[in-house]
Amino acid sequence: MTLQQPALPATAVATRPARRRDRARLFQEIGMLAPAVALLTIFLAVPFLLSFWTAMTNQPLVPRPTPVRFIGLTNFLRIFKDDLFWTSLWNVSRFTFWILPVQCGLAFASALLLHQKLPLRNFFRGLFFLPAITSMVVVCVIWGTLFQYPTGPFNQVIGFLSGGRIQPIDWLGDPNWAMFSIVLLSAWQAYGFQMIVYLAGLQGIPDELYDAARIDGANAFQRFWHVTMPSLRPTHVFVLVITTIQAFKLYTQVAILTQGGPRSSTETVVHYMVRTGFEEQKLGYASAVSVILFLIVLVIALVQRQLLRRFDV
Amino acid sequence: MSDLAIPTLQTEAQRERSAIGSMRLLQTACILVIALVIVSPLFMLLIASLKDDRFQILADMGSFRAFWVSNPTLSNFAEVSNLSGELAFGRYLLNSLFILGCTVGAGLIVNSMAGFVLAWGTLRGRALVLSLVIALYVIPQESIIMPLVIMVSRAGMTDTFAVQIVPWVASPLYIFLFYQFFAQLPKELLEAAEMDGASVFRTYRSIFLPLSLPALATVSILMGIETWNQYLWPILVTQTDYARPITVGIATFFGQDSIYWDRAMAASVLMMIPILALYLAFQRWFVSSFIGSAVKG
Repeated sequence: MTLQQPALPATAVATRPARRRDRARLFQEIGMLAPAVALLTIFLAVPFLLSFWTAMTNQPLVPRPTPVRFIGLTNFLRIFKDDLFWTSLWNVSRFTFWILPVQCGLAFASALLLHQKLPLRNFFRGLFFLPAITSMVVVCVIWGTLFQYPTGPFNQVIGFLSGGRIQPIDWLGDPNWAMFSIVLLSAWQAYGFQMIVYLAGLQGIPDELYDAARIDGANAFQRFWHVTMPSLRPTHVFVLVITTIQAFKLYTQVAILTQGGPRSSTETVVHYMVRTGFEEQKLGYASAVSVILFLIVLVIALVQRQLLRRFDV
Repeated sequence: MSDLAIPTLQTEAQRERSAIGSMRLLQTACILVIALVIVSPLFMLLIASLKDDRFQILADMGSFRAFWVSNPTLSNFAEVSNLSGELAFGRYLLNSLFILGCTVGAGLIVNSMAGFVLAWGTLRGRALVLSLVIALYVIPQESIIMPLVIMVSRAGMTDTFAVQIVPWVASPLYIFLFYQFFAQLPKELLEAAEMDGASVFRTYRSIFLPLSLPALATVSILMGIETWNQYLWPILVTQTDYARPITVGIATFFGQDSIYWDRAMAASVLMMIPILALYLAFQRWFVSSFIGSAVKG
């Protein structure tokens, strides 16, 4: 990410009207930058810094007559002693483990297919992106019916294919299946963005590389393995990291479909944060959870930077 | 030697051609399978929203009747498009549309102005501002939401439209996208404008902005999807129907013991229409320009 430095206008000899014009220019530039800077400061930087402070207090949700006290790292120590927090961290890790191959695999496969010169290619590109514009709430309505137990569509199809030998699965109600079900609908909803990023990566590979490989007698698979895959390394890193960060922020589908259940099998870090902050009204405690979430995201982003640097991007 | 070589070359070419042909067939088949996985749930939603009986909807779902409605009716839509009272999805939809329009409209102006100054301004400290903006991009919405709720409730902003619009207008990602787009436009544009004595704002407004349709389309779609689908923030800051968006409205169906799938489906279809329209309007520019910016970012 290099900052382009447009050269200053070539008015080395600053005359008085020129200087006045420069000042007017400066005011205009400040005026154009100010709204964004002010909004980002008030609604992003300040609450971000505040969250570190709030995390070290016993701030309740509803103001109480007793003053808010500074309690140091107590909230963090309590969080680390809470089994439910570790469960939620374990759950989002499980979710990440499943969603990475399912969602990124689907996205990569779709991008490879739609990169070919095929009839109606642009139509299919638009079509494949439809789930990504579908609101998660709507996705929950659709998949909520698909997952119905015991007579929903999935169970009927499974029953039909197995001749009734496989028992209906309680997709969202069985602790062994609930997270996997959430993975399926999440991958369906979100893979469109990754597909577009992969399409971008594929378009960025120069044709000469393929021509050279062809002259060297490489077959289609060899061209894929020795040209496409190495060229896409930065894209893979980008997609995997973005997907991992998204996965750690898992909330909406879980809040709507399972409320973290059954038996905490779909409890996530953000759901845990919202619950402690707003149902148990411990805002300081919840802020501490949000600080931990930020640190996790930060570590993932730094890992991405290191990996990209290694690939000379 | 050459007698031998020519036939082998031919068969090789033929083999290659037939291999390509069967590859094509396989690829087309794969695309159609994925298309089916993508489209059938959405199509099922549309069909189910036209069915009257909520028990019939579930009964039909496992069979081909999920894709067919014999006597379509709009009664579900009539039930959920009230402007007040119970099931006021008409109201929620208008609320969401208002929030969407304001956020995206203001967002395009604020973020593109900032992006322009960062790309072509002469202000000292631009590089610092830019790196701060990029650093802020790492902070997820989820991790600032707790203090933000206290801030807006102290300011008496809960249950308003403003609280759902103003905090999300400026965004590091969109400032950066605009910055990146403006920076790759030729410098001659700026010089020519300066030669004519145009002010900075004038240069931005009449020269750079009209050229940035792809960036405007991309940001509109991304910001539109993001705003339209906001869920966590509105459940925390809205308490009444006054400013409640449609996401929160649809989610209330899941709180009941027995879900009215017919109504939920109709409300979902209502919710999809505006964002689909936005997407179709800008899609032409979206894919290509998003592709251009995604990886570099």
